Amino acid sequence: MLAAGGTIAVGGLAVHSFPVWSTVAKANAYKDFLRLSALLVPHVLDELTGKRLAIAFKADQPPMKLHVAAMLALAAARRATKVEDFYPFATGSSKAAALRIISAWYLGVVEDVPTAQVFADQAALMYKPTSDVMTIPTYAVAGPSEWNAVSAPLNPMPKF
Amino acid sequence: MPQSSSDVVIVGTGVVGCLIAEHLLDAGHSVTMLEAGPRVTRGQIVENFRNLSPVARIDPDACYPPAPWAPHPVWLTDTKETAYLQLEGPNAKAYQQDYVRYAGGSTWHWAGICWRLTPEDMQLRTRFDVGRDWPFDYATLEPYYTRAEYAMGVCGPADPALQWPAMRSKPYPMGRLPFGPGEQKFTEAAARLGYLNVPAAQARNSGVSYHDRPACCGNNNCIPVCPIAAKYDAATSLPRIEAKGGKILVNAVVYRLETDAKNRVEAVHHFDPQKQTHRVVGGLFVIACNAIETPKILLMSKNDRNPRGLANGSDQVGRNMMDQPKLVAELTLAEPYWTGVGPVQGSSIIETSQGSFRSKHAGALFRFNNMARSRVGAIAALKTGMVGRALDAEIRRQAACTMEVAIEHETLANPINRLTLSDKKDWLGLPKPNIYYDVGDYTRLSAETYTGPIARQLAHAMGATSVTVSTEFTESDHMMGSMVMGRDPANSVVDVDCRAHDHPNLFLPGGGAMPSGASGNSTLTMAALAFKAADAIVGQLAHAGAAV
Repeated sequence: MLAAGGTIAVGGLAVHSFPVWSTVAKANAYKDFLRLSALLVPHVLDELTGKRLAIAFKADQPPMKLHVAAMLALAAARRATKVEDFYPFATGSSKAAALRIISAWYLGVVEDVPTAQVFADQAALMYKPTSDVMTIPTYAVAGPSEWNAVSAPLNPMPKF
Repeated sequence: MPQSSSDVVIVGTGVVGCLIAEHLLDAGHSVTMLEAGPRVTRGQIVENFRNLSPVARIDPDACYPPAPWAPHPVWLTDTKETAYLQLEGPNAKAYQQDYVRYAGGSTWHWAGICWRLTPEDMQLRTRFDVGRDWPFDYATLEPYYTRAEYAMGVCGPADPALQWPAMRSKPYPMGRLPFGPGEQKFTEAAARLGYLNVPAAQARNSGVSYHDRPACCGNNNCIPVCPIAAKYDAATSLPRIEAKGGKILVNAVVYRLETDAKNRVEAVHHFDPQKQTHRVVGGLFVIACNAIETPKILLMSKNDRNPRGLANGSDQVGRNMMDQPKLVAELTLAEPYWTGVGPVQGSSIIETSQGSFRSKHAGALFRFNNMARSRVGAIAALKTGMVGRALDAEIRRQAACTMEVAIEHETLANPINRLTLSDKKDWLGLPKPNIYYDVGDYTRLSAETYTGPIARQLAHAMGATSVTVSTEFTESDHMMGSMVMGRDPANSVVDVDCRAHDHPNLFLPGGGAMPSGASGNSTLTMAALAFKAADAIVGQLAHAGAAV
């Protein structure tokens, strides 16, 4: 008899089952994480980065799995197509978890501490709102001495 | 068995050690260099940086993890137990220096700014009855400044009205770099108050390739590492030094200089990463490890003949520690100023460092901090709890409409500011450096009565909606004074060529030799002293013959 993540006995020899269920469960959990991310963050999101963030957030386990489910349920109930439609109505630890997910997409880390693993540098969303003017450190946007003193207004925002 | 003897043994592969090494090799002498830390590649450091979390990026040493045998400060992650620098005194925090014990030294992460001293900066005692005079004048140092500028590749304005100072025997090797929008607006605001925000002289390739390194393309990452080596750092000279026959021993931590019966330095002793000791002999010795590590070695080298440490007949080794104590004005502006276009530092108001007021209080410079504020803007915006389009707009506003003006003050040579050997030991069992630091009333009075008001006037001229000027001094990473230069061996460590008064074959060039620091970054002056020492070494070797 097969159980998710369990073992089966075959002629007295214990053999670990293929974790088929847990693989499917994980995949679904990561898909939900990406779905929620797309609702929380109004920008093009890289799927591979999303998967890596989902793993780092342990999105296949409580508590994050439950927070994701709660936020998706809220979004569905409010027929949300963007974050402003549902996030203001969230409360408590699910809302806090949602903000942590948003933060991770912008800052490129799950938690901003000195030893954090970095999931996105050049692609981190924190640089996108100013990408028309500001260099992302280490990534030049100009040629030799080719930058200048032309300023830009706050509006319009670059599209991303 | 000692290592085979070179004419000159140089301890330290930073800018001073490397400039001297190359000059001596070009003059036909044999050179062995010892470096406490490892050799690294630029790509490795850039990758380290790109993998730093946002909060870690405020520490310029975070992408330079120290080797256990060659500790350097990493204040962001240091604890009381792991901290390398032991700091005390009313301004202990202002000596929390950042430096790099790797081959190439701290120019890996410097900003590249190359101010010269002025004649006034070198005569504080004569003109203002404070501090110390240099034992020679600006005219004596000027040719060495020129050589340093050409050796490193310094760009600067051709217009004398914008030069600092406008007393030059040759043009800058390259023309000035353009301003970004924030620097341009800051320049205009300063002009409304009657101040000149001048383009900084910078060791950065401007528009052309210099010494086979590319021109600056505005990667805005000078601190902590230039990804393309458009900025001069000493690591770029290491392959040339080797190609010219120089030997470089890395992961070699010098802990003792050995003297002979005539009190000449005979050898250096160093540990390797396996804690085995080795002895390297030579004819003449240069210790160029920065103004913290060099006096540490001298004090550790005490022996019966030199009970206070080597080169310390004056009791000034480790004393007179200086830097430029820094305050920061944080501004919120009504209109976008924009940082992050061009190099991280490119200009300053520096005329505020000069004047008759120096008989009463310190001068200072004011500098627009051009490090991109996208990251700090995003961190601040996320803290508000905003999401969606509002978050993006807040990130853009915070990034564009906030900025910092750094205020770097001079401080005077004071023997109470002192490095001694701590009881705490590092991984090799060597004493950690202990530093007592008090910026002094001369600097504090400047902050209260001079720089604070000017900062607020600048903020007003910029149309700032809010300004906060910090009150706790922090470091500028320009360590000076600890092997002070002078003509009198009773109150100085080195002579006019950075030769130790007490040991005729020992040279101690660098920031430590400077009797005054003024307000500008010290590296170009250190490099000038490197060439002055190098000339003296060549002359001394010519008279003495080969290795003694």
